[in-house]
Amino acid sequence: MTEFVWKIGGEAGFGVMGAGILFGKVFTRTGHYAFIYPEYPSLIKGGLNTTQVRVGDAPVNAPSKTYDLLVALNKFTVEACKDEARTGGSIIYDGKNTDLTGINVREDIQLYNIPLLEIAQNAGGDMLMRNTVAMGASLALVGYTLDQLDVMIHEIFGRKGEDVVKINMDAAKGGYDYVKAHYDAGKFPIKLEKRRMRESKFVLTGNEAIGAGAIQAGLKFFASYPMTPASSILHYIAAHEYDHNIIVKHAEDEIASMNMVVGASYAGARSMCCTSGGGFALKSEALGLAALAETPVVVVLSQRTGPSTGMPTWTEQADLRFAMHASQGDFLRVILAPGDVTEAYMHTQRAFNIAEKYQIPVIILSDKFLSESAATTDSSDYKPLPIERGKMITQHMQPLPQGGRFKRYEFTEDGVSPRPIPGVIGGEHVATSYEHWENGFSTEHFETRKKMVDKRARKINFMANDLIPPTLYGPKGAKLTLVCWGSHKAPVFEAVDILKKEGVKVNALHFSCVHPLHPLAYELLLKYRKRLVIVENNSTAQFGGYLKEKVGVQFIGSILRYDARPLFPEDVAEHAKAILEGREKDAVVYDRTPVEYYTARIIDTKEAGKGLDKPLGESKHTIEVI
Amino acid sequence: MATVNDFTPKEQPQWCPGCGNFGIMLALRNALVKVGAETHNTVVVSGVGCSGKDAHYVRTYGYEGLHGRALPLATGIKLANSRLRVIAMGGDGDGYGIGLNHFVQTCRRNIGLTYIVHDNAIYGLTTGQTSPTSMKGMKTKSTPHGVLEEPIHPLALAITSDATFVARTYTGNIPHMIEVFTQALAHKGFALVDVLQICPSWNKVNTPEWFKTRIYDLNKEGHDVADKIKAYEKALEDVHSGYERVPIGIFYKVDKPTYEDGLPQRKEKEVFEHDISAINMEKTLAKFI
Repeated sequence: MTEFVWKIGGEAGFGVMGAGILFGKVFTRTGHYAFIYPEYPSLIKGGLNTTQVRVGDAPVNAPSKTYDLLVALNKFTVEACKDEARTGGSIIYDGKNTDLTGINVREDIQLYNIPLLEIAQNAGGDMLMRNTVAMGASLALVGYTLDQLDVMIHEIFGRKGEDVVKINMDAAKGGYDYVKAHYDAGKFPIKLEKRRMRESKFVLTGNEAIGAGAIQAGLKFFASYPMTPASSILHYIAAHEYDHNIIVKHAEDEIASMNMVVGASYAGARSMCCTSGGGFALKSEALGLAALAETPVVVVLSQRTGPSTGMPTWTEQADLRFAMHASQGDFLRVILAPGDVTEAYMHTQRAFNIAEKYQIPVIILSDKFLSESAATTDSSDYKPLPIERGKMITQHMQPLPQGGRFKRYEFTEDGVSPRPIPGVIGGEHVATSYEHWENGFSTEHFETRKKMVDKRARKINFMANDLIPPTLYGPKGAKLTLVCWGSHKAPVFEAVDILKKEGVKVNALHFSCVHPLHPLAYELLLKYRKRLVIVENNSTAQFGGYLKEKVGVQFIGSILRYDARPLFPEDVAEHAKAILEGREKDAVVYDRTPVEYYTARIIDTKEAGKGLDKPLGESKHTIEVI
Repeated sequence: MATVNDFTPKEQPQWCPGCGNFGIMLALRNALVKVGAETHNTVVVSGVGCSGKDAHYVRTYGYEGLHGRALPLATGIKLANSRLRVIAMGGDGDGYGIGLNHFVQTCRRNIGLTYIVHDNAIYGLTTGQTSPTSMKGMKTKSTPHGVLEEPIHPLALAITSDATFVARTYTGNIPHMIEVFTQALAHKGFALVDVLQICPSWNKVNTPEWFKTRIYDLNKEGHDVADKIKAYEKALEDVHSGYERVPIGIFYKVDKPTYEDGLPQRKEKEVFEHDISAINMEKTLAKFI
């Protein structure tokens, strides 16, 4: 795969996230694939924000540890990111505002000193337009033209008027021309060409895919409370509430949101909420309510670094056991953990079908890494799934005899009972958080209690066709099998590719249905039982422990990371090889750099602030993202 | 037309003998008949507590949810299908204690729910602990030396939170309950009815005898239900008069657009009624190109 890794960094508020999407789309529209991976601290202004755009001629779903070209919008970005440059990598910086004195940059790194602010100002723009200048300069280096960037600028700023469009285009052209005039762009080691596209491509984040998937599935009621990194699901769905007749409620708290979702689903609307770990803790009681009253619900849990408030804008896969066991009592739930953006779209649709067919809670388990990273995907992968609503009853029935109640919790072979929604004549019944008779009325009758537990539990015996089998990836004759789940599909699968190129044969097994397990999961795990290595983004190998319990397998090694970042493909490959060669058993990956995103000093604020209407000042620590 | 019998299930209520809940249940069934409600289009939602059982004993659709969470549960039901008549039943511990945030928020939302709070100033089902409306100094199992806090003023709280119908009634006066419930059910928007209720098992202070000498109907004294400031004063009268005078009746009523009125998503039909079998995502997904 030919690839080009571009990274942009600056303090929060400099627009590095938006720049990443824009830059990724320029290449996507011209036939490439991009993976856009942002990292940022829990601050609104200040700190260090970076976005990595990894461009390739085949689908990419993971970030790289290194880059080819860095755009440093301030001094700290150079300090923090210089050592991630590949051999022969490059850094664009603004020498007029960023003094690199005292920073030891490797000799192999090519520095491009481009007056980003001055060019932006000459175009009629400001500080925030340095991104655009840098994008123009970057395109010049890889031998691209500006036309696609210009198209994007038109699309984004067209509504703001021709003036704004022109300023942005001039800024891009300014950066482009500066490189052409002052540097030999031909020497830049990577050249990209426009490629023909067979079909249109989508660039979207995991959260957008979850939101769009829910809309495709017929979501009609969404109530949530903001919590990073789930909030953008709320934003996305709210922005589309009129287009698709969805009622979106920003509820007063997490508890209200979950209870509203239970209520709306009871009334016949497909309903969902989203949150992160702290919010999920608050929603837990109503998760159990949905389970006992057999009201279908879909809850998105986008994990972040815990416990408690943890590191709000960073990633971890440490809420798996929490999702499996949240709320009191024994009850059946399904947990889907999409492996990439496309899976997020498809599995969200599945979640609604499973919830309604089996009248159970379904949890979509994402994390910051999947939720907020964006990827180029083929539009043909976005298919609607048939809607299955199970035993929901919306047509009037025979009126009940006086005083009678509908047997909402009738004992059935598959454990699923007919579910009339309010408004249906003849379906009057009570749903309750208490154990109940078949007609819903509360009971403390022991045998009925036992039978109700069995009824709810035996649904699992009928859902195999709705569960998702694990994905096996890699060459035949593999000597090691890497087991992973959820967001870490691509980093692990790519590690398989890296090792294959080195002649090392390992394969990987990815689970996007983590609970309950698909029957094929048992078969494959047992087949490879002598050489399993668990790879997880947590400190206790939570899924590994679950597989030990459920399947009875042991692992010969583990690759774990819990320093708040995801595992990168290169790390997985390195440690898989070490385990295979017997040099290592249980590997823990962590970043040893002294970089601290949260307290990053805005060293060159004073310089960078020149030409601004008002200086940025000491803007760190102003408002926190919670 | 549905009759009281239609709203009556076969099962016998299991409250303590003499409990005010019996009266509330009977009054609600009668009020439902008076407003022409139908069993299949009515949902009685409750939290957990002695009041929670109402969802069982009024034979309609019902949902007995979680302690303190009747209002958000009812809100979800109402928003999914606003044609339903949704009645939330709560208690003073359930609604003014653990679920208080929902109470204030639902008031300001003016969503079309009727909220009936069984206010007996005690936690009954957990065998007699202090509640947010217990009188200062009241001795209970959890406050053996007397309550140190001032009680919540639920009606005043509702009025300042922009509730559009605020009333109080008393379990010792069933005709009054029926009348107030009927008006609350007929109100478009959020209607709070705080029901002063006796608890023969645990509240030995606010007994029928205690109420008898203190309660009066403020609507018979020429109270103007449109006067918000006056309503607020009346809402505080019980505590401020040292419980010499405890007013019941309609305190405040105003007609305002409801939360549902602000949702164009449900103008054409209720959101749950939309055909979801073939949702066209072409335009929506095209934004990702």
